[in-house]
Amino acid sequence: GERRGAMQPPAASPGPAASAGAELLRWQWREVQAPCLVAAWILVASLAKIVFHLSRKVTSVVPESCLLILLGLGLGGIVLAVAKKAEYQLEPNMFFLFLLPPIVLDSGYFMPSRLFFDNIGAILTYAVVGTLWNSFTTGAALWGLHQAGLMADPGIEAGLMDFLLFGSLISAVDPVAVLAVFEEVHVNETLFIIVFGESLLNDAVTVVLYKVFNSFVEQGPAHIHATDYMKGVASFFLVSLGGTAVGLLFAFLLALITRFTKRVRIIEPLFVFLLAYIAYLAAEMVSLSSILAVTFCGICCKKYVEANISQKSRTTVKYTMKTLASSSETIIFMFLGISAVDTSKWAWDTALVLGTLFFILLFRAVGVVLQTYVLNRFRLIPLDRIDQVVMSYGGLRGAVAFALVILLDGAKVKAKDYFVATTIVVVFFTVIVQGLTIKPLVTWLKVKRSDHHKPTLNEELHEHAFDHILAAVEDIVGHHGYHYWRDKWEQFDKKYLSQLLMRKSAYRLRDEIWDVYYKLNIRDAISFVDQGGHVLSAAKLALPSMPSRTSMSESSVTNLLRESGSGACLDLQVIDTVRSRRDKEDAAMHHVLRGSLYKPRRRYKASYSRHFISPDKQERQDKEIFRQNMKRRLETFKSTKHNVCSSKSKARLKEKGRKKASAPQPPPLDTLNGKTHRNVPWQEAAPVLVMVSSEEEESDSSETEREDDEGIVFIARATDEVLQGKTTPVPLTTPTSASPGSLDVCPSPCIIPPSPTLAEKELPWKGDQADLAVYVSSETTKIVPVDMQKAWNQSISSLESIASPPGTESGPQHRRFACPVLEEQPQSASQVMSEQSSCFQFPSHVSKSGRSQSDSSPDGMEQQELQPLMATEEPGRMLPATEQRWLMFNRASHL
Amino acid sequence: WGCPQDCPVPRGADLSPLSFPPTVTSEQIEHLHRRFKQLSRDQLTIRKENFDSIPDLEFNPIRGKIVHAFFDKRNLRQESDGLVDEINFEDFLTIMSYFRPIEMNMDEEQLDRFRKEKLKFLFHMYDSDHDGKITLQEYRNVVEELLSGNPHLEKDSARSIADGAMLEAASICVGQMGPDQVYEGITFEDFLKMWQGIDIETKMHVRFLNMETIAHCY
Repeated sequence: GERRGAMQPPAASPGPAASAGAELLRWQWREVQAPCLVAAWILVASLAKIVFHLSRKVTSVVPESCLLILLGLGLGGIVLAVAKKAEYQLEPNMFFLFLLPPIVLDSGYFMPSRLFFDNIGAILTYAVVGTLWNSFTTGAALWGLHQAGLMADPGIEAGLMDFLLFGSLISAVDPVAVLAVFEEVHVNETLFIIVFGESLLNDAVTVVLYKVFNSFVEQGPAHIHATDYMKGVASFFLVSLGGTAVGLLFAFLLALITRFTKRVRIIEPLFVFLLAYIAYLAAEMVSLSSILAVTFCGICCKKYVEANISQKSRTTVKYTMKTLASSSETIIFMFLGISAVDTSKWAWDTALVLGTLFFILLFRAVGVVLQTYVLNRFRLIPLDRIDQVVMSYGGLRGAVAFALVILLDGAKVKAKDYFVATTIVVVFFTVIVQGLTIKPLVTWLKVKRSDHHKPTLNEELHEHAFDHILAAVEDIVGHHGYHYWRDKWEQFDKKYLSQLLMRKSAYRLRDEIWDVYYKLNIRDAISFVDQGGHVLSAAKLALPSMPSRTSMSESSVTNLLRESGSGACLDLQVIDTVRSRRDKEDAAMHHVLRGSLYKPRRRYKASYSRHFISPDKQERQDKEIFRQNMKRRLETFKSTKHNVCSSKSKARLKEKGRKKASAPQPPPLDTLNGKTHRNVPWQEAAPVLVMVSSEEEESDSSETEREDDEGIVFIARATDEVLQGKTTPVPLTTPTSASPGSLDVCPSPCIIPPSPTLAEKELPWKGDQADLAVYVSSETTKIVPVDMQKAWNQSISSLESIASPPGTESGPQHRRFACPVLEEQPQSASQVMSEQSSCFQFPSHVSKSGRSQSDSSPDGMEQQELQPLMATEEPGRMLPATEQRWLMFNRASHL
Repeated sequence: WGCPQDCPVPRGADLSPLSFPPTVTSEQIEHLHRRFKQLSRDQLTIRKENFDSIPDLEFNPIRGKIVHAFFDKRNLRQESDGLVDEINFEDFLTIMSYFRPIEMNMDEEQLDRFRKEKLKFLFHMYDSDHDGKITLQEYRNVVEELLSGNPHLEKDSARSIADGAMLEAASICVGQMGPDQVYEGITFEDFLKMWQGIDIETKMHVRFLNMETIAHCY
């Protein structure tokens, strides 16, 4: 809508009534002209973006803003050539009312608020003092140039006030341009926040100076009284503080409103945009600083809004905001280019142009150096020389200056055309030349870059600890410094503001540490689902000693398993009554498989798609799933940490492995196992606990038949502590413990046979129930809080139906073998089979049956944790058929 | 002892290889000394109870750990281990010197030492049993205390967060662990590793020590 043409209301088109009866189709261009043009321009700009980004070489060197300006120039030229007049232009009204707000809101809302407020002193100094300095010096210097008669063109009728006016609009660093360029440069965050914060906050100064000087110019220098100057000063405070106040007010309202949107989730994002926009308009209406209003509205509301609105709304807000801001920015730069073609507004004066360019660069640099010198006396982290260079050089001018100069009244400001031309040149120069060179400059100066490492939990914890430590030290030395007030504010916020503005449920989990933890979990879970291994390798949270999914020949093992599943079943079935060597080998193979296979990916996928699709439960589910995910990894870690595998057991395992290898290849499954086995040295897999889920018994068909498929359900590694019944708080569990099956087991009675080797020999699914050594480990109770278990089970059971292919539903559901889903660092192939990865399935009935038990299961209490361990003393107890059984082997050494 | 200028050098400053020249000015020392006397009620030493008199400290979730750090012999650069019952002004200054801001003219080596000093302090705060390792249990305690300010987070959450952090630490510090490997806790070396890339020297400091850094008191 920034074209003149678009602004015209659709001119009188033939009334529809006139010819409605006669025409089938009617050309109605005029009626759709305005929106159509808007859409067309946006489309052109967006397509252009795609084209730019086709070549990574180009975009890595040339900032997008440059390309867009150049594109605009080209398009403007075409339009000029075709229409013989410059048709389209960046209209100040459109710019200030529609194009600027999204960008400012985006930058305010996603402003790293902590960083912003940590550096607020420097930012304010540069924004206020720096802008004042730039305006006055530039204006005065240009006036001096004019007075000296260096400006050749006599048409420049401008007095001091005119030049000061021009200085005020040309000296303000532009947030749009700065953002566009600096986002691609990746300087360190402190530097970025200072430059960027300055560009946002200097709006108040610019607006005030612009208005004051404009009124001075319009009044004529003769009519300016001393009181006018005072008014100017007063209006600065009014405009800036007023704008900020408006922003805070609307931030408060917004937070409050979102507190009550629980039942109308769908319009939550709307509120964010509406209120922010209204804040902008309200500030504009009373001629306060609208940029400040939106900035502070965004900064301040975010914490509460994010806590209140749903996850989906958060995503929506984020994407919509980014989309709007990005398209605004695109249009702005493109129209800057297009506008420049309009030569009717140009009046060129070389001295003015060059003088302006020189002065803004010079005075910006001088100003930065002077201010930094003062600031460094107070700053704890001084800004060094390189920072200053970047700050000076990063003072880009942009569309704000252009819009302001277009807004000038040509009748009052005689030299407007010269100013327009100069502004365009300055904007082009800063955006294109400086934008192009700042990246090499930053590289050349070796400016500290921002390392884009993902937030780690430790970091967040330590930062929190820091805050408290520093606040405490300030308390102790009796100094009321920054940390003291920050601490006070946080307490106030916690006590009153958050209580008022946040939902109870949201407030509950709104803790920064928790937040990071949560986000990390989400990230993990997503990477878990994501099959592109790169995510995993990048994840810092990678588990030690977790085999990588890439190294694990997922295709071979998993697919083979899938393909050969049925055949194997049949074959194994035959032997199931006879306990033979082969039987044992089967068992061994099972364990290998268990150890080497991964969690069924499909389930995860299913849970994910569900979590993204299903509206209810979704939040709870994703939380639980992530927690679960984290838990699982954690337990693996713990088991690693605490597990001391005796060499004996290893040796035994090795032996078995050897035996197995020598054995004739039985059924396809076995062959498969053999393969796996080769890949995986036994020492890697030292499973101590094998849990066998006996869901089949529940299923209608005879369970023995497909036991082999799912019999190999879990491998859990027992820590010494658990084995010996110690009360270590750390449970030794493998990822499997996180599986619902094991969770369910917790409350059930457990029996641990005296000798694990025996257990090993007995394939639980083969033999009679009676001679099975079965134990239920209840450590798992401790691992996963009850509520989590519940939720997990629910989600799993709800997923069951989805996840399981229709054909297998009645039959063994466990047949689903996991595609290796591994979030860990890649490892060598030989390590693939380490026991930590496991394949298990979560039969719905089991999880269901287990749920009620887990509900009542004790959680986290050591005594209770111990009980199952004690129970292990009594061997030979049988489990009810519905229970899952824990098979122990290789335990002898521990017991 | 009365004159603060006489005794500004933290004890052991030149004994420990990690020590650095204290750059606390006499003015700051005077200020600190006044504060010290205020805290100690004009005694020569401060005891733990004295810290109870600071009202603002009351809401600090990890105040126990912080106060503890003041009496930790490791932080006081004493050879022996353990806790002292009371600290004098020298010790007080020593502790405070951990919170000095970075200086412009520091070279790489100094920076590194500076950084290590600060991290040591932090490490000692976490390592409550003085065994040179932050065990899971210790970490959990810290996290629980940190989160104790939020009444809505259960202990379980704190636990799982600590567990997650520990897991993370292990993966950062050890990388892949063999199945038999036991990660017992975060050693100081691991701690340093975890802090790589994070500018602790730009974070762990307090304004009071940065008023002027002209006069070096020796």
